[in-house]
Amino acid sequence: MWAYLVRRVLYYIPLYLSILLVVMLMLRVNVDSAIMVKLGKNPTPEQIELIRTDMGLDKPFLTQYYILVKDVLTLSFEQRSWDQSVPVGEMIRKAIPPTLMITLPSLAITATISIAIGLVCSFNRGRWLDRGLMILAVLGMSVSYLVYIIIGQYFGASVLSQEMGVLPFEIQGYEPVIGPLEGESSAGLLNPMNWVKYCMLPVIIGVVVAMGYDTRFYRAVMVEECTRDYITTALAKGASSKKIMFVHMLKNALIPIVTRVMISLPFLIGGSILVEYYFSIPGMGRTMIDAINSKDFPVVQATVSVFAAFVIITVILTDVLYALVDPRVRLS
Amino acid sequence: MRRIGHSLIISGVLCSVLAAPAMAQKVLQLPIRTDGPKSLDPVEGSTTYDNMACVQIYETLLTNKYTDPLKYEPLLLTEMPTSPDNGKTWHFHLKPGVLFYDPYTYPNEFAKEPIFDGSRTRAITADDVFYSLKRLADEEYELENWWLVKDTILGFNEFKDEQNAAAEFDYSAPVEGFRKISDLEFEIELTQPVYRFNYVLGMFQTSIVAHEAVDTFGDDFFRHPVGTGPFVFESWTPKKDMALVANPKYHDVYYPARDEWSSEDRRRRLHRPAGKQVPFVDRLEFMMFPQDQPMWLEFQAGNIGYTQVPDEFFPQAFDKRTKELLPDQSARGVSGHSDRLLDFIFRGFNMEDPVVGGYGEKAKALRQAISLAMDLNEFNETFYSGLNVVYDGPIPPGLDGHPEDGRAAGAYQGPNLALARQKMNEAGYPNGEGLAPIKYLANRGGNSPEQTELMERQLARIGVRLDVQLVDFSTLIESVNKKNAPIFSFAWSSDYPDGENNLALFYGPNEAPGANHYNYKRAEYDALYERILTMSPGEERTAIYEQMRDMLLEDVPYIGSMARERHYTINEWLLNCRPTERYYSWFKFLDVDDSKRR
Repeated sequence: MWAYLVRRVLYYIPLYLSILLVVMLMLRVNVDSAIMVKLGKNPTPEQIELIRTDMGLDKPFLTQYYILVKDVLTLSFEQRSWDQSVPVGEMIRKAIPPTLMITLPSLAITATISIAIGLVCSFNRGRWLDRGLMILAVLGMSVSYLVYIIIGQYFGASVLSQEMGVLPFEIQGYEPVIGPLEGESSAGLLNPMNWVKYCMLPVIIGVVVAMGYDTRFYRAVMVEECTRDYITTALAKGASSKKIMFVHMLKNALIPIVTRVMISLPFLIGGSILVEYYFSIPGMGRTMIDAINSKDFPVVQATVSVFAAFVIITVILTDVLYALVDPRVRLS
Repeated sequence: MRRIGHSLIISGVLCSVLAAPAMAQKVLQLPIRTDGPKSLDPVEGSTTYDNMACVQIYETLLTNKYTDPLKYEPLLLTEMPTSPDNGKTWHFHLKPGVLFYDPYTYPNEFAKEPIFDGSRTRAITADDVFYSLKRLADEEYELENWWLVKDTILGFNEFKDEQNAAAEFDYSAPVEGFRKISDLEFEIELTQPVYRFNYVLGMFQTSIVAHEAVDTFGDDFFRHPVGTGPFVFESWTPKKDMALVANPKYHDVYYPARDEWSSEDRRRRLHRPAGKQVPFVDRLEFMMFPQDQPMWLEFQAGNIGYTQVPDEFFPQAFDKRTKELLPDQSARGVSGHSDRLLDFIFRGFNMEDPVVGGYGEKAKALRQAISLAMDLNEFNETFYSGLNVVYDGPIPPGLDGHPEDGRAAGAYQGPNLALARQKMNEAGYPNGEGLAPIKYLANRGGNSPEQTELMERQLARIGVRLDVQLVDFSTLIESVNKKNAPIFSFAWSSDYPDGENNLALFYGPNEAPGANHYNYKRAEYDALYERILTMSPGEERTAIYEQMRDMLLEDVPYIGSMARERHYTINEWLLNCRPTERYYSWFKFLDVDDSKRR
């Protein structure tokens, strides 16, 4: 397996370097626009030159590329953001925890509930329970994410606050759940109430939105499993439906489940742009979209390189997991 | 178990008693619409949000009056600057007892002890004023705000060139126009009498900073402010929130006297704390809102003191027709306020364009026809709920040179389709025949695509077709600066409350990439502009403003104009609030009444 892993890593290195190269090339197609964004409507040629030097854009392209590769290898990202003037590495370090506080629970809850519903639906396929749940899933899928956010904020926070006099959820901002942010004081290391206050509503919305898609996917997977011979054999042997669903079917459906969950993993770091934007959560998704909007190239490069690295690592890990969950798969 | 119960009760009571002083703190929560400031270094600041945050911590020599924000008053000075030679030399006297306050805990990564020779405070001097102005000339700060003082102060341009060419920028090098008389007295001599210099001294970019703080924090100075302002820095999470606490060493600044308030303001009881030392609150917390809905909901929940009312929520707070606050809002103790912004929203022509540009009768007639075909009121009703103000000329409402009731004789303000068609004939394009589609550039964001569609429909009525290019903002700026945009959509917000600022937009030497995006060049206009620069406000100057305005109305280098009217709602617990966006150092006058919080 180790030989396989080394081979895969070696295979992905040129691919990764190419991704970095393409990103840099794309960003430099219209580099003047980034300067204009920073300098406003009436820059003088003198200012343009000054800022070009300050941004490191006067250096040869290969030198700029080398700096990026070095930053990625050392995970330092010392270059300062053009928009926020703070080191990019610091921005990313601060953005990852809020994102994980939302995406990790969302993924875990969505996957657990969707798989369970998928199993129940497949076992009852064609019956009212299956049809009802699938109608709900389609309805859930059909409504825009934005609508859930707006309604969630309105009822989940504002109405509760005004009508009941309590404010269970904040609709704005984020406070650290584990440990203090750099430069800030904190009473303790673990603040679970902060999670309830700042993350729970976005997580609920994320779960509701994702469940429609996931439930349909897992149902399809399970329905296919239902038609397998081993299910007929188990039924013939008198196995209970619980045992068939949660022991036999689930085990055999693990490959598509693992694939789906692993595909979602890089997005845990990427964050949810809409949720983070509307709830003002300073996570990776918001950092990335803000950087794109303000043409903050160092941050765009850094976030894309982190994201690409996660995608590659996930692909390799998925292969490994295949071998672990299915003895027929051999890594060679 | 019982013992534990008793202990808990006693602990609870003790905690309540101990917590009592903390609860008595007055905390004011205010919103910042959008992501908030990018920098807390005044010399790097440019946006409204940089301004909003900076002026709570730093102070300028002059500031706007809370009772009438179009007027100025001394802030760090004992009196308004005086000039013995009609505006060429200005004499300043700093207020004694104004202290910089260093709020940081020590030791930290930047210093072992407080930055003013181990002390937390130091009085400001004339040297601090010179130092702060010299920072505008330092290329290290990318000259972002150099335009404020460029060509204005005697010997300053030369100082800038010499110091930036040198191996190290020497802040102790002299500037010919800076003359220190004593620690609290100094003079600044200008290259020529320029009245707007006073306004510049009220802009947040010229706030007074301490060199010790800049030296100590270096590249991190932008997030370690040390100023003389009513509040001192506590924490800042970019794009999220910022906390400031009352400056324990704030100098003597008092709430405006009763007779300074208008009768309308007195009726609203705004004069109540007259003569009291400010600030009133112990802590000021800013919350950043990139989206409007959370801001509006937080206001409704009573968690922020006041808010701008976003257009889409206007009908929830105000009657759309009368613009009066709705009864259900009043019943909750909410009050309303409105304020006109110094806006100049327009669509500009490139006067160097071979089709729409030029000063000949035909080209002029084409621009006049286009202007006459446009119905700005329809834009106002469709896209701004009728909240904007449509007016003639480039000078926004409230300033000298703005026409009475917003209408000027001789303006080619539409809709007047009959006259527009006649002008098309004069231009040689009857019903648009022979006229190729004209390139029109606008920002692709917001409702710009819909606005462009309306514009296309209105112009189609006289046969004018547009080649629409919706681009991102940077591309729009680039095209305008390179004179590649025959018609373009832009807006200007006045830097200071004087029509001169808007008239400068048409001054020949300011042509693109300068602020004269229209590349309007008329020697007669330029001569008048150079004249008004040195004039102080008065009837004579206003008459020239009107003359210049009328020249523009005749030549039509733009289609316009519109200004936004901002509406605010204020929660009952926020006291002394009279929102304005002309300046932001008025937060120190605000107070809270926690008994009225829901």
